[in-house]
Order: sequence, then C-alpha cells, then structure tokens
Amino acid sequence: MHEVSPALHTAEVVHWIALVVMAIVYTLKIRWLLSFNLAKDKSAPGNPGQSNKQRGARYSLWNVAMPWSMESTRKPKGFVFYLSFVIFHLGVVAGITLAFVSTIAPDFLRIEGVGYTMLAFLIGAFLVSVYRVGRRMFRPLMRLISTPDDYFSLVMLTIWFGLGTCTQAYLMGIWGMSSETLLVAYLYLTSFFLLYVPFSKISHYLYYPFTRTYIGRALGQRGSYPVVRA
Amino acid sequence: MAKQKTHKIKMMEEQLAKKLNRQVVGSLVGCVHCGMCDESCHYVLAFPDDHTMTPSYKADQVRKLFKANHDWTGSVFPWWVGADKVPLIDDDLETLKDISFGTCTNCRRCTLSCPMGVDTATLNRIMRGLLSHVGVMPEGVRVVSKDQWELGNQMGILKEDYLDTLEWMSEELEEDLGHNRAAIPVEKKGARVMYCINPREVKYDPRTIKEAALIFHAAGEDWTMPEEGWDNTNFGLFSGDDGLGGACAKREYEKARELGVDKIVISECGHGFRSTRFEGVNWAGESEPVPMESSVMTMLDYIKEGKIKVDPTKNPEKMTFHDSCNNARSGGFFEEPRELLRLVAMDFEEMYPNRAENYCCTGGGGAMSMSEYTPRRLESAKVKADQIRATGAKVVVTSCHNCVDGLQDLIKHYELDCEVKQLVNLVANALVLDEAEKVAEEPKPGDIAVTKVAEKEPLAGRKILVVDDEEDVRMFLTTVFEDAGAEVVTATDGDEAIAMATEHQPDLISLDLSMPGKDGVEAFVELRKNPETEEIPVCVVTGHPEFRQVIYDRPVTPPEGYLGKPVDEDKLVAYAHHIIEHREKKAN
Repeated sequence: MHEVSPALHTAEVVHWIALVVMAIVYTLKIRWLLSFNLAKDKSAPGNPGQSNKQRGARYSLWNVAMPWSMESTRKPKGFVFYLSFVIFHLGVVAGITLAFVSTIAPDFLRIEGVGYTMLAFLIGAFLVSVYRVGRRMFRPLMRLISTPDDYFSLVMLTIWFGLGTCTQAYLMGIWGMSSETLLVAYLYLTSFFLLYVPFSKISHYLYYPFTRTYIGRALGQRGSYPVVRA
Repeated sequence: MAKQKTHKIKMMEEQLAKKLNRQVVGSLVGCVHCGMCDESCHYVLAFPDDHTMTPSYKADQVRKLFKANHDWTGSVFPWWVGADKVPLIDDDLETLKDISFGTCTNCRRCTLSCPMGVDTATLNRIMRGLLSHVGVMPEGVRVVSKDQWELGNQMGILKEDYLDTLEWMSEELEEDLGHNRAAIPVEKKGARVMYCINPREVKYDPRTIKEAALIFHAAGEDWTMPEEGWDNTNFGLFSGDDGLGGACAKREYEKARELGVDKIVISECGHGFRSTRFEGVNWAGESEPVPMESSVMTMLDYIKEGKIKVDPTKNPEKMTFHDSCNNARSGGFFEEPRELLRLVAMDFEEMYPNRAENYCCTGGGGAMSMSEYTPRRLESAKVKADQIRATGAKVVVTSCHNCVDGLQDLIKHYELDCEVKQLVNLVANALVLDEAEKVAEEPKPGDIAVTKVAEKEPLAGRKILVVDDEEDVRMFLTTVFEDAGAEVVTATDGDEAIAMATEHQPDLISLDLSMPGKDGVEAFVELRKNPETEEIPVCVVTGHPEFRQVIYDRPVTPPEGYLGKPVDEDKLVAYAHHIIEHREKKAN
C-alpha cells in the first residue's frame, strides 16, 4: 500500500463510499427501467434476407465506432463533432482511471508513457469541453433544448477535466504541480460526480446499451438496419 | 399562485403512463440534447432559423411530461431537467398540436441520426396520441379517424360506392380486353390472395385498381377483393391512437380469415403497408398474423416466376425512385421496388440520399389531411424537390399513395418538369398480354376509359357547368364536354358558379378551386350546404393542393371526382360519365 496523508485518506474513503452509493443507485435505476414491459414485435420479420433482430442490435451497439453509419456523423461537420465526442469520452475514461488508480497504484500513472497518454486525453477532453460549453451557451438551438442539468453537468465535467489534468501533472511531478490538495480535490469532485451522475443526464451511458439494442432490434426485425447505402 | 393543471392535462398524464414500455422509456431518458438530429429533419432544413423545428425539441414536449411524472430528478427538482415547463392549461395543447402534427411527419429520419438510438418519431407519435385522447387534433385527422371507426375506411366511402367503382373498373377492363374474364372478383371465398387498397384509389385514382386487376388476371392469380376490410390505410398510425390502429388492422385480418385466403396483398401505400404488415399486428394483439406482402413483391414474383411478361421499352422515360419512409425506414423494403423498376423501365437514375436515408415526400404522417399546415409542408419540401431535380428524371416512381400526393404537390409548387407514377402503373403499361388477350386495339391500361366514349357522345342530353377563372381552360373543358354531347354553361368565379348552379341545375359541375374572389373551396361548401344545389355532383379540376381540405376536413360531403391539371380529355369524359351515371343509379 502507498503512504497517504490523513486528508488524502479521507478523500479516498469518501470516494469509495460514493462509488458504492452510485452502484446501488445505478442498480435501482436499471431495475426501474426493467420494470417497464418490453414491447415485443409480433409481426413476421420484414425482410429476413436483409437483416434480423440480432444483426440490427449488433450493428446498433457498434455504431458508436462506425461514424460512417449515421448521416449525422458522416458529413464533414458531423465527423468533426464525432471526433470531439471520441476525445471527450477518452477523457472521461482517463479521468475515471485517474481517480481509481491514483488511490491504489499511483506509481502506475507515473510511468512516462502512461502518464503522458493520460495527460493528452485529459487536456483534449478539457478543450473539447470548453468548446462544448460555448456551443451550448451561444448556439440558439442548443440553448433552446438545454436544461440547467445540461449546463451544470458540462461545466462540472470541464472543471473535472481541468482538475484532472493538474492532478495527473502533480502525480508526474511536472509543470510545478506539487500540492497534494490537487489530488484530494480531484477525488472529492469525482465523489460528487459519483453521487450526482445517476440523477443527471450523464447517466445516459447507463441507458446507452438498452436504447441502442432496442432500436437495433426493432429496425433489424424490419430489415432496415444496418442501413444500406448505394 | 401556481396554475392548476386542467382535467385534460391530467388525462394526458394518465394516458402517458399507459403508453410507457421499456423502449419508450429508453428513448425518453436517453436523449443528451447533443443536437445531432438537427439537420436530419426536412423541416429544420427548410426553416434553419426556427429552432423549434429540431427533432429533440419536438420530442422534449412529451419528455417533459414524462420527467415531471415518472423521472426521479424531475419529480423532485422539475426545473433542473426542464420538467417545470409542462403544459398546464388547455391553450398549451394547441401549441403542442402545432408541434406534433404540424412540424413533423413522423418519418423517422432523425431516429437514424441519433447517436443514442432515441426513437424521436415514436415519441412524437405518443404526443399525438395523448392529444388525440383529449380531442385535440387537426380537423382532417379527426374527421378521417371518425370515418375509419364508423365506416371502416378513411374517406367515408359507402359500400355501394366502393362496389360500384369495382364494377366500373371491371367494365373498363372488359372494354379494353374484349372479354369479361378479367372482372374483379369480390368476396370470393378460398381465393389465394385478398387485395386491400387505399380509399384514395376508389375515390380519386381508380385506374390503379384496374391496373392491379389486369396484372392479377394476366398472372392467372386466384384473387379477390373483400366487401369489407378492404382499406389498408390506418389513421391510428398518424393520430397515435393504438385502439383505432388495432381496429383498422383487425378488419383486414378478420376478413382474410373469413374468406380463407392464403395471404393479404397490400396495394402500394407506404403507411398502409407499415400499419397492416407490422404495427397493426401489435396493436390488434394478433398472435398468428395472416401472411401479408406488398403488391410490389407480388408483381416482382410474377415476373420472376414467368407468370407475366413485361416489355420495359414501353416505359422509356428517365425515372427515379422515391422511397416511402414507412416502406424503407420502418419496413426494410427498398431493394425490391428497385428490382421491379429496373425490369419494367428503361432508364433508372437513383436519387441521393436514398433507401432508409431518403427524405420524406413531406406528405407523410397524415400531413395530406392537415390542410392548415399546407404552406409549411410545401416549404419543407424544398430538399425533396432539390433531390428530384438533381436526377433530371421525368418520372418520379414511388410505392405510396401519400407520397404520390405529396410529390405531386411539391412538383407543382417547385415547378419541376416531371410527373409521379407508381409501380403498378409501370407494370401494367409494360405488360405483354398473350395473343388471346389482345383485342383489335392494344389496351392502354394507364388510361381510364380509353374507349371511344367521345365518339359515342356519352354525355348527350347532359348539362354541365364549367367553373374556371382561366379562359383557355374554360374553353378547353367546354369543347371537350360539348364534343361528348353535353350542353355546357360556364362561370368564372365562385359567386357566379353558385348562381349558375342554382339557375341551371346542371347534371355535373366541373369546379376549379383556385380562383380570385370566392374560391372553389368556399363555393363548393356553399353549393353543398344549399338545399337547391346540394345534390349536384361535383368534379374538382385543379392544380392546387388546397382541394385536400374538402377531402379530409370534410366540412360537407366530399366531391364526387377529382382530376389534376393538365386534364386528359378522355379521362375527363369518362369521369363525368361515370359520376352522372352513378348519381342516377343511386337516385333510383
């Protein structure tokens, strides 16, 4: 075990408790979703020669990795947004990794290749977040469809990416970042997210496998998914 | 002081709870408001500065109701997730009606563009269903839904009128072929195929029935049309009323079982195909659905199996294909019509995007029945017009009656140099009949009554009132009717039409709709409401889409006939002859 200060130890404990709470709330949320009836399409398959439920679901689940599969991510403007989506979510993965690995194996994050990769992801996500905050605040369309939760979640994530960048720099001992407070603050902010996320739009990733599977099965059953382009 | 929810709003909330299933809830909670669906919508493309057109905004209208009543955060902190902006008073419902019926055709294109897999079109349909549940819907949707409940078809066609049209088409076939073996079989038990159609075919485009009958005959098919349960359309899909949807579909299924047919063949109607073949099965709770297929599949199979022969050189024009949203996106049905088109036509040019990514004709989702939204609909059709224009095609082929109307409207509005046809038109035109079937003159199934009616003066002794503000059109119509033996009187506007009709009591009024002063729609309604003129049959002859108001909103009995400009003279005489004869038959 690594040596930790009392402040950091407390932050780590809070962080793990928050994780447990999140897991419980997520379990309840999935139970809540599953409490609704699953509508079954009783009609005969639409075009079995073209597709089926399973194929549609697989295609739907993987379309996150296939920007060519949707017009909205295929067009140049949409593709740029797709790239920003990839960077943003790689940053999320890096941020979560940072929160957990820093409490159990911080030396791993000090390995040069790992550390700089983490930094690149976090900085990239921070920049994308700043862009997204601006997009949400200044584009009339985005303002129209945004709720306080949308703004708050995005702003807090931007701060989280920023703080995560500084924390990773602290762990690597670079850029003059030497205060442990950074890591403590980062863990508390992560704890906040763990508690807040299940009640906010950020929980969309919990639903993602469900929504994508449902639409994939529905359209696969009809034969229109995967989308055929010619 | 906080406003209290009205009874209607509470009813909508109760109804929403009944419509929730796992897929719907997933779509309600899955949206992250990323805005990626924005440019997939033809309304957004037509109104880029009006952000209320964006699909996620439309879906949010029902999402707010859901969050306020079912979501954890929304129940405790509604303002945090936008659930505080739910409708509270009945006036709010008019706005919701405008959004859900007037700015979305439920084409489902945005669904394919959502990274989260949110089915926005389904959410919009749910909002329509909630509104319909409390009686808030466009007048056309209300009238049509009522007729589907009460009369079993969306155009309020009486059984005798339906059967009369089938008889008329059988007679036409007999005249074309010189024998009566191609007569349309009705209510034939044990037939292999039960053919269901769109009421628009009975009322305004019976040639498609005749063409289908010719194809069935040529293929040697054992088929029938039912006396009841023949309407494959379903306003339950448009109004969001699953009860109506199930009732309409069940009529067809039960009739098919009663007749003991092997399968239902659905004529070329996009939403009819989707409702009958797929959604209706679920709405009606069918455990063992009757086999069903689109007539496109049937015709394709006939050619592949060698049951009919076609000559594509008879359709030499450059053609493109428009995918109906309900067929392609919600039915996975897009390669077969292309295969068939390539077999019966010489020159096919694809339009882009196509198949499941095709843009809506803008007439879907019941839009043709909502005349109050016609200007917006036509404006939203620009992207479709651009798609068609880019192909340079002279014929836009589609497998949907709604698309036919929607495309015809936009072709006129955007002054495109092309016409709309369905595959049944092309197949019938390309059909190579056996020698035994041929009569002295080659039949022309694309025309109604190409028999030499004009030479026989079929309108002799009839008086016809021609109403049109354009002198050359008036002259043309007058000449055609007079050549057919009719006495003709004319009027140039609505007021004059009413006066002339009252004075002359004609056997038929040929009525233009777009005229200065009192237009044709107003004049038509007044004629129908006036006891002295209410019985005079009217054939609308117009080039404008506003006539749909009198078909769908139906403030009075709809017109007996409809012809689009430019008018084919043989068709005009045949229509006039049929309408007058039918009226006399009914009177007797």
